[in-house]
Amino acid sequence: MAELTQFIITGLAVGMVYALIALGFTLIWKSTGVANLALGQLVLLCSWFTYSMMHQLHLSIWLAFPAVVLFALVVGWVIERFALRPLIGQPILSLIAVTLGLGYFISGMVSFIWPQSIAALPQIFPKNPVHIGGAVISQEYVWAAGISLLVFTLLSLFYKYHRMGIAMRATADDQMAVQACGIPVTRIFSMSWMFACVVAAVGGILISSIGGISNGLVETGLKTFSVVILGGLDSFGGSMIAGPIIGLAKSLGTGYLTPYLWPEFGEVIPYIIIVFVIIFKPFGLFGEKRIERI
Amino acid sequence: MSSLPCGTRNYSYAEDMAIFRTKTQWALLIGLLILLMIGPLFVGNFWLNKINLIGITLIAATGLNILVGYCGQLSIGQVGFIAVGAYTSTILTSKLGLPFPVSFVCSGLMAGIIGLMFAIPSVRVKGFYLAIASIAAQFIIVWVISKWTGLTGGSNGMLVPDASIGGLVFNTQKSFYYLIIGVAVVCIFLAKNLARTRVGRAFIAIRDNDLAAEVMGINLFYYKMLAFFIGCFMAGIAGSLLAHWSVSISPDNFSFSESILYVGIIIIGGLGTTLGPILGVVLIRLMQVGVTQATPWLQSTLPGMPNGFATGITPMLFGLIIVLFLIFEPRGLAHRWNLFKASYRLWPFSY
Repeated sequence: MAELTQFIITGLAVGMVYALIALGFTLIWKSTGVANLALGQLVLLCSWFTYSMMHQLHLSIWLAFPAVVLFALVVGWVIERFALRPLIGQPILSLIAVTLGLGYFISGMVSFIWPQSIAALPQIFPKNPVHIGGAVISQEYVWAAGISLLVFTLLSLFYKYHRMGIAMRATADDQMAVQACGIPVTRIFSMSWMFACVVAAVGGILISSIGGISNGLVETGLKTFSVVILGGLDSFGGSMIAGPIIGLAKSLGTGYLTPYLWPEFGEVIPYIIIVFVIIFKPFGLFGEKRIERI
Repeated sequence: MSSLPCGTRNYSYAEDMAIFRTKTQWALLIGLLILLMIGPLFVGNFWLNKINLIGITLIAATGLNILVGYCGQLSIGQVGFIAVGAYTSTILTSKLGLPFPVSFVCSGLMAGIIGLMFAIPSVRVKGFYLAIASIAAQFIIVWVISKWTGLTGGSNGMLVPDASIGGLVFNTQKSFYYLIIGVAVVCIFLAKNLARTRVGRAFIAIRDNDLAAEVMGINLFYYKMLAFFIGCFMAGIAGSLLAHWSVSISPDNFSFSESILYVGIIIIGGLGTTLGPILGVVLIRLMQVGVTQATPWLQSTLPGMPNGFATGITPMLFGLIIVLFLIFEPRGLAHRWNLFKASYRLWPFSY
């Protein structure tokens, strides 16, 4: 029983972080229509930057975190300005391929700057584990879930009530109309990328405080696509619900199915979910069904 | 778009359809074929090795070009299907003792069938969804290969027996050169002609607007499946050649970043052209050689280089090239080549 609680709680917590990273995807997809396949690499880059700030410069988390956010903002701006803006209006194939190229570039840059390829973040959250109903959970999980929920709430409020958030939603709805209203669409694109990078950075800090930093984070980014697909590409709430589902599936699958199947079965569960969702319910649980015209 | 050489007129439909129209073109073609035939006599083993890799990559890239460039179905899992071909061929020859030609065809068929399984979503979705489905395909395939230890040897990999046709054993770079280049030439010829037939035109219609194509009476399901089958079939036979050529295979040979590289290759070369994959493959593989050769030299001359230079420089460079090509020349090197040919033919008059 304690084992089950353990699996459920860790699964939910990791799922929340997945959902947070998935938000980074949804932000960009909703307002710019670009599918960001470099998500994992961005998470990796921001995690390594945090590592540099905390471990190599010995900053405390309160100083390091603003630095990481600033870094993420700059990265987001640079990517949008120099890689994506020249491609506005190009077919979706180019837009996907350009993020693939970016991801390739970033992963090269990471192994260029941080050749050690594996590291652990310094302790951010208190060390002693908490006991929940017989299960022993390290505090990182609890904090990760809490912070993800907080960021999600802040982002949703921002989207709902802030001027800029409303402008972003309007851009997602109809770019032409928004342009006619005098809203600077390019600035909105750039804002979305900056926000998405910050979200990826927060997700990166949380997930690497749980599992350490390694190239596996790139795969984590790819796995979050299962969250995006299951929740629906353009739905915030969708990814927030799909994240814990994927997290649960992964931790329960790893915990209970491994003895019957091959080892590391948990690693492919998200991909299997992707294939099934795309075959049976391609627009996800909460995605908007697009009607196409010729 | 492409202007004919000066003074070329067609007097029959057959002439109009011909790929090689003028005597010069025929002479160039025959010259090229002769060069390909006698090339290995003048080239050392090092370069022959690289040329063989180029040939294998070219076969897989040509398949991917049919799928992505002509039919517009973005697939980022080509290396997964290469892996299917490589392992099928290895298992058939080493465990069942089948002759190489049989396993060669079977590896193509196997990769094609597995490709069809992952192609089912393409009926309902496209663009990003399909890209994600193909990424999932790549990871699931490589995972199955690395965990099914009884059949594939797991992460230890497998030793691949020599390929042989009749009494002819392929175990040197030179003998493999003729096998690989032969297959590559046939594949390119087929791809070129496929694009000009009913099937190729249907592919192009689907790429340009699949709804309109369906309204025009093109069976989307059939043609999309066909495109996936052809693309993955070529990946499979490339995988079979790769396995027998590289003597041993393991799941590490089939990484996701290699899949991205394949997409990069056809973008750099030019989507939807026959020449594109050739130019892209040659450029990328030669650059890889150049980078591996130049890295030790750069590290010794510039002592301030960080440690990660050797591992980081290749992906950085290729990522940058892919992005730059998409921004500045999305139609790829093949388009540049066509522009050059046109301006050369029209010179000095620019009309």
